[in-house]
Amino acid sequence: MLTLAQFWRRAPSQRPLAPCFTALLGVLMGACVLSLLYGAGSITPTQAWQVLLGRGSSDAYFIITELRLPRTLVALVVGLSLGVSGALMQAVARNPLAEPGLLGVSAGASFAVAIALLLGASAATLTLGVAQIGALLGCLFVMAAARLQGQFKDPVRLVLAGAALTSLLTALTSILLMYDQRAADEIRFWVTGSVAGRSLDSLRSVLPYLLLASALTLYVAKPLASMALGESVALGLGHNPKTIRYIVMLVVALLAGSATAIAGPILFVGLVVPFVARALVGPDIRRTLILCLPIGPLMIISADILTRLIAQPAEMPLGVLTAIVGAPILMMIVRAKRLPTLS
Amino acid sequence: MHAPTSSSPGNCHRPPKGQWLLKRGNLSLLLDRAAIKRNLWLTLALCIVSLMCLGVGTLAISPVDVVNALMGQGDAMTQFVVNDLRLHRLLAGLYTGAAFSVAGCLMQTVARNRLATPGIIGIDNAAMTFAVASIVGVGISVAPSAMALTGAATATALAFIIGGGSGTRGYRFIIAGLAIGAVAAAVTQLLLAQVHIDTANEAYPWTVGSLSGRPAAQIPIMGWITLAGTVMGMVLCRHFQLMAFSDSTIMGLGHLPNRLRLSAVLVAVVLTGFAVALAGPVGLVALVGPEMARSFARHRGLPLLSSALCGAMVMVLADLAGRTLLSPIELPVGVVTAVVGGPYLLWILMRPPKRSPL
Repeated sequence: MLTLAQFWRRAPSQRPLAPCFTALLGVLMGACVLSLLYGAGSITPTQAWQVLLGRGSSDAYFIITELRLPRTLVALVVGLSLGVSGALMQAVARNPLAEPGLLGVSAGASFAVAIALLLGASAATLTLGVAQIGALLGCLFVMAAARLQGQFKDPVRLVLAGAALTSLLTALTSILLMYDQRAADEIRFWVTGSVAGRSLDSLRSVLPYLLLASALTLYVAKPLASMALGESVALGLGHNPKTIRYIVMLVVALLAGSATAIAGPILFVGLVVPFVARALVGPDIRRTLILCLPIGPLMIISADILTRLIAQPAEMPLGVLTAIVGAPILMMIVRAKRLPTLS
Repeated sequence: MHAPTSSSPGNCHRPPKGQWLLKRGNLSLLLDRAAIKRNLWLTLALCIVSLMCLGVGTLAISPVDVVNALMGQGDAMTQFVVNDLRLHRLLAGLYTGAAFSVAGCLMQTVARNRLATPGIIGIDNAAMTFAVASIVGVGISVAPSAMALTGAATATALAFIIGGGSGTRGYRFIIAGLAIGAVAAAVTQLLLAQVHIDTANEAYPWTVGSLSGRPAAQIPIMGWITLAGTVMGMVLCRHFQLMAFSDSTIMGLGHLPNRLRLSAVLVAVVLTGFAVALAGPVGLVALVGPEMARSFARHRGLPLLSSALCGAMVMVLADLAGRTLLSPIELPVGVVTAVVGGPYLLWILMRPPKRSPL
């Protein structure tokens, strides 16, 4: 049996995956329960706990199932999507700073949604598709930018390009919003990034895309791991790097687009989650991806609980909290003696 | 070919080609004729643009009438529109544009990186956050300018500390600034979310950068600050140019590199802080202005005055476009510069690398 001290002493890539995953899953379950216990609605944590045990008043039951459970589930799905899409994007761009939020993929999705609202759309399903298309365009741009610069030489330049794209798209979005007051009212609550007040319906419409994305992820995980050794190695092992890259982009667009459609743009999650996963189990993309599964939701759910607790009775926007947590980690990565290139 | 005898003060050296030599006692000054010509042209262009700005709007006024109104003649309506409504806005644009641009030029020189403008390294956003905090009122009721200045200074210090100085790893400095800017933007949103929706809506144009309805009392102060900053920059310009060299070269030429950097950064921070307090974070002017000036200037100097003129012109033109393009709706100038400057920044980042003068 491996003690905790022994676990830490090993090099990250030598650590066993299963106990790590199980422990994180346990913590995630705890966070989910906390998220159900503390939150909107006038019931005490004790009452909420009784509902979870199967006995409690009908009021409390209503609050738990109709208000808090959807919110927790939404946070779970959003965290999952953002974490996995961040890990995939970093692997394919070979850049530890790549992240859907920072590179303008989320901004692309928001811009597309703003256009759709301006043209008169209001159905949630349409918004989802549009957001995914916007995210896909953002992804294509990022990859084109990365290609243009030659073999991903400078990790930081790509982030700057993403920041420029984000500011451009944000400006265009705000022009659209000024043009149309109705769209502005519909979008304003959405654009700061939050998991509050989202219904289970939005989750149901996202589900098929998530299933498709996970199937594709399973398919590309192994080729991606070989691509980390260099394109020629991947070619030699019988994978086509170009196809893989396009599939990964599609997956990132599906995941980031869905997450943005549900919760609005949330920055830095796709950066922090793979960073933590890599610190725990090393740079192999397959191991990183598995750990991203619990870490992503864990980050969003705990951030969401914090937003409810910090500024009671009001709530703090979730995007603000993730930015405050994520920015120092970005600095930490950049401040490392040698910028890791993930190759 | 004889060696010049330095002992006789009357022995006048001939100035280099294309330059004028001003000499008075022990003091002498070399003036670049091409630079003077360039700046005169830029000033002329700026005057024309300004006249256009004063004339264009809901009430179109011909340039002749504009000049008359500025002189205090013409009918009362025209005088009111030109002198009371549009002139304030124009002056705010000119001053803040020049300030942003000079600050950008200086920061680029200090960081030896043309991307290291105050907007990109988060100084604008931090200044904005502090200014918004003073308005939303977190118990501190200091004037927004003072708060913005504090914010700008804080962000700069943080960027330098976290980025580990502005050495050869300039990009690290920039990413540190980027992160600071992201946090500051998040905090601004948080502060705005705390206040009443009407207050937040009112503050919105300012938080993205706008010249509309700025307090008239601040505009002359901004003018003096801009003038002081530009003049100081020009006086120190010759020394600042040294920052393109390595530290040991600077020391060999008898200067302290850190003191040079500190003075340049101080000027940049003061200019940016005040400009943000007046017009909001219109950071991309600081990227476009110096770049334009550099493309006009043939040789590799530090075109500070041209930067100021170009920045003022960009700002005023962007504001004009924002006022007129989607006419009933008024776009904040910050949005216009983001739409124009964003692709430009992308182009700088994407184009194949070449040796840049910085």
